[in-house]
Amino acid sequence: MSEHEIVRDWLALSAAGLLECGEERMVREHAAQCAECSAELEEYAALSAGMRELPAPQPPPHLVTRTAALMLMEADRRQGSYLAGGAAILVFVLVAALAQTLRMMLGDQAAIVWVLCAGVSSLLGAAAALVLTAARRRERSIV
Amino acid sequence: MIYAAAIDGNFPVAEPVQVARLRSGDPAALAETIAYYQHRLYRYFTRLVRDPATADDLFQQTWLHVVRQLHRYDTGRSFDTWLFAIAHNAAMDLLRRRPGESLEDHEFALPAVAPDALSAVLAGERAAILAAAMAELPALYRESLTLRFEEGMKLEEIAEVTGTPLSTVKSRVRRGLEAMKQRLCRDQLL
Repeated sequence: MSEHEIVRDWLALSAAGLLECGEERMVREHAAQCAECSAELEEYAALSAGMRELPAPQPPPHLVTRTAALMLMEADRRQGSYLAGGAAILVFVLVAALAQTLRMMLGDQAAIVWVLCAGVSSLLGAAAALVLTAARRRERSIV
Repeated sequence: MIYAAAIDGNFPVAEPVQVARLRSGDPAALAETIAYYQHRLYRYFTRLVRDPATADDLFQQTWLHVVRQLHRYDTGRSFDTWLFAIAHNAAMDLLRRRPGESLEDHEFALPAVAPDALSAVLAGERAAILAAAMAELPALYRESLTLRFEEGMKLEEIAEVTGTPLSTVKSRVRRGLEAMKQRLCRDQLL
């Protein structure tokens, strides 16, 4: 492959600024002596300059607001999941520890009553948390 | 340029404090970051999918993905590159499912400019003609060209965003420019 052929393959990349130093130097030196490559390099340079000035599409007016609201809902959902998971583990450990204490102090029946009461309270608490989360999401989606 | 401020501004997304604000779901941080990137990301999607409504959907999908993946973001890396890699994956998933859209590197030829386009160039709308010529390139070539010329990304950054070797990026940029030049020369627009 002659130098002329090699350089011709590199002209577009030279105009795009994607050649390494040695390759770029070779292109410049060759173009200085070759009218054909010099003209083509100019055409690529004009094209590259035009590519940098292309008319940019305008984003829709509320794109940022809508996207930010979606992101907040997602962040809420994730944060809610982590908090709910942590709270569930904590409640389980506390209920089990207290049930064990009650069983040792007052017998099996007291422990069972405690576990049932704690279970019902936890279920009611979880339901309330779900309702509040849903309401908060609805508020965010309206905003 | 309209977007010069958005592109040239020094927005410290990659700083640990800002990333921590994003991770905590700070509404102000989220809005600031989306607003900062909106023009660039929307332009990238519009160039790739050529449809404003789809670009809008991809824009939102990308930011949702950012919220979900933020814990994996390494602040030592460029946030731009990380964000555009997520955007690239979202766009490629969509283009793969779109009938008639090829995601292969192959030889191609651009059709001749339509008479109305030619008259537009004579009226001085060269940039619009260039954009139209670019829109007719295959998606992977459009992507490499927009990342290079509009985003001003380096070769290595484009390779990271698109998950392709440097040689492939070079080849796409070269072939994309060659096809555009051929068409513009043939129609005596260059």
